[in-house]
Amino acid sequence: MILISLALLLLAILGAPLFAVIATSALVGFHREETDLMNMAIELLSIADLQFLSAIPLFTFAGYVLSESNAPGRLVRLTNAVLGWMPGGLALVCLATCAFFTAFTGASGVTIIALGAILYPALKQDGYDDKFNLGLVTSSGSLGLLFAPSLPLILYGVIAEVSIDHLFLAGIFPGLLMLVMLAGWSFWVNRANRKPLAEFSLREVAAAMREAAWELPLPFVVLGGIYSGFFAVSEAAAITALYVLVVEVLVQREIKWRALPDIMRQSMVLVGGILIILGVSLASTNYMISSGVPQLLFEYVQGFVSSQLTFLLLLLGFLLILGAILDIFSAIVLVVPLILPIAAGYGVDPIHLGIVFLAAMQLGYLTPPVGLNLFIASYRFEKSIMHVYAATLPFLLILLLSVVVITFWPTLSLWLVPSG
Amino acid sequence: MSLLFRRLDTFGRLAENVALVTLLSTMMLLAVGQIVLREVFDTGVIWTDELVKLIVLWLAMVGSIAAARENRHIRIDLLSHLLPPRGIAVIRIVVDLFAAAVSAVIAWHAYRYLQIEIEFEDTVLVDVPAWIAHVIIPLAFGLISYRFAVGAGRVAVGLWLGEEGRRS
Repeated sequence: MILISLALLLLAILGAPLFAVIATSALVGFHREETDLMNMAIELLSIADLQFLSAIPLFTFAGYVLSESNAPGRLVRLTNAVLGWMPGGLALVCLATCAFFTAFTGASGVTIIALGAILYPALKQDGYDDKFNLGLVTSSGSLGLLFAPSLPLILYGVIAEVSIDHLFLAGIFPGLLMLVMLAGWSFWVNRANRKPLAEFSLREVAAAMREAAWELPLPFVVLGGIYSGFFAVSEAAAITALYVLVVEVLVQREIKWRALPDIMRQSMVLVGGILIILGVSLASTNYMISSGVPQLLFEYVQGFVSSQLTFLLLLLGFLLILGAILDIFSAIVLVVPLILPIAAGYGVDPIHLGIVFLAAMQLGYLTPPVGLNLFIASYRFEKSIMHVYAATLPFLLILLLSVVVITFWPTLSLWLVPSG
Repeated sequence: MSLLFRRLDTFGRLAENVALVTLLSTMMLLAVGQIVLREVFDTGVIWTDELVKLIVLWLAMVGSIAAARENRHIRIDLLSHLLPPRGIAVIRIVVDLFAAAVSAVIAWHAYRYLQIEIEFEDTVLVDVPAWIAHVIIPLAFGLISYRFAVGAGRVAVGLWLGEEGRRS
């Protein structure tokens, strides 16, 4: 058994598709329990039993449509008009637009490609240091994971069976904390370059708002609808997808009908890649839960961890390592079902656990060896990986600090969440 | 031979696109239609929710087939930045054959499950035979297995031809 596990681990590290590795571990488990391997089909079919899962393909599609249109440019212009007058304002513009865009496009690296192309040259032109720009754009690319309606938040809600609305509320302050800390650091680094970008002009704000008039209602429709209880998450996702489609194809006419099948395909390739891992993970975790693995893990951990504080410390260390090797979606579907009962044993609120999980995983986008943002930025801006890594390091440390705060200060996450 | 592969490729890609466009559009319209029915007409169609969920399953599976074609399945991408191209190619053949084998096993057992569903006349969406909705699982894993096998074969051929090229 240990031999098989080691072989599977080796295959995963060698780059075997993760769904195949996880499926094999489940099949081996079924075989050992003398369960018919047909159970794999039953587990895969249970993808169709999960509540709210339709939000994932719908939001992903909406995000891809937005990133293919000129909406990123309009977003940057508007944010610039509102925030650009501050000294160091462009850095803030970068952080805010990336956070917003990542929340809407689901953290798949699209942000760096869609916004980096606009922001990176703009920062350079404005006299910011190149290394700073590279670090800022790279680390901003995953900022916003904690804001609704990001895919990882929805996926966590589906897997942990906690209210997605509550998760959306819980992410607000921790997400803002990350934003504020990075902004503060950007101001500090550029304190010598205090020249404001432009005078604040109401006329420019109005013009930018007019230009973005069609996209502006989106956050209000989505968030207002969900927070007020008017729609479920999956319904908000359907409205968003249809609305974005109508606006960008019929009203703005920035996306041609002919381009639509390919945009749908690209977005569903991402969704397929995530959901097939979800399906096989349902099988492997169900096997593990039925053979009492979480219970064993809990007893094992209890042997040397007595307080909630030490548990959280251990959890944080584990998640940081996990985030460095696994992508956020696989990590959620594989690991969350196993640590949920353990965390509950230490009295950790599942909503808080979710925020800590995602916040720690966000660092994984920036840590070697497999940090996705590092590679996308390296590819997009034609810099060596080591160069990008060095440029990102200060931002990584700041984010790490914010994750520590988020972990040990549960109130920050749970403040807005109605109790009970 | 290569012409046949190219035609299969064009046809497969088209079929995937048609399926994805149909599924995604249907899902959007169904979900929005359901909201309109509820809010405006204070009514609803009982099977919409179940149908939307089945469409998610289909989207996931067809998306996975497309991901296999474009080699976009999620992997731990560690070695591709460390090893020389030939080493990567060899490893690639091994892991893709592994993925092909596992997918084939799943396809076979899913097919067996389908037989049982047919035998017991299981239904979904009130009275539709369940196997029609569930046939996507063996189909998808069969095609994914095929894609990985073809992918591994291509890398192997490239590796072999590359060596020949260097020798001459």
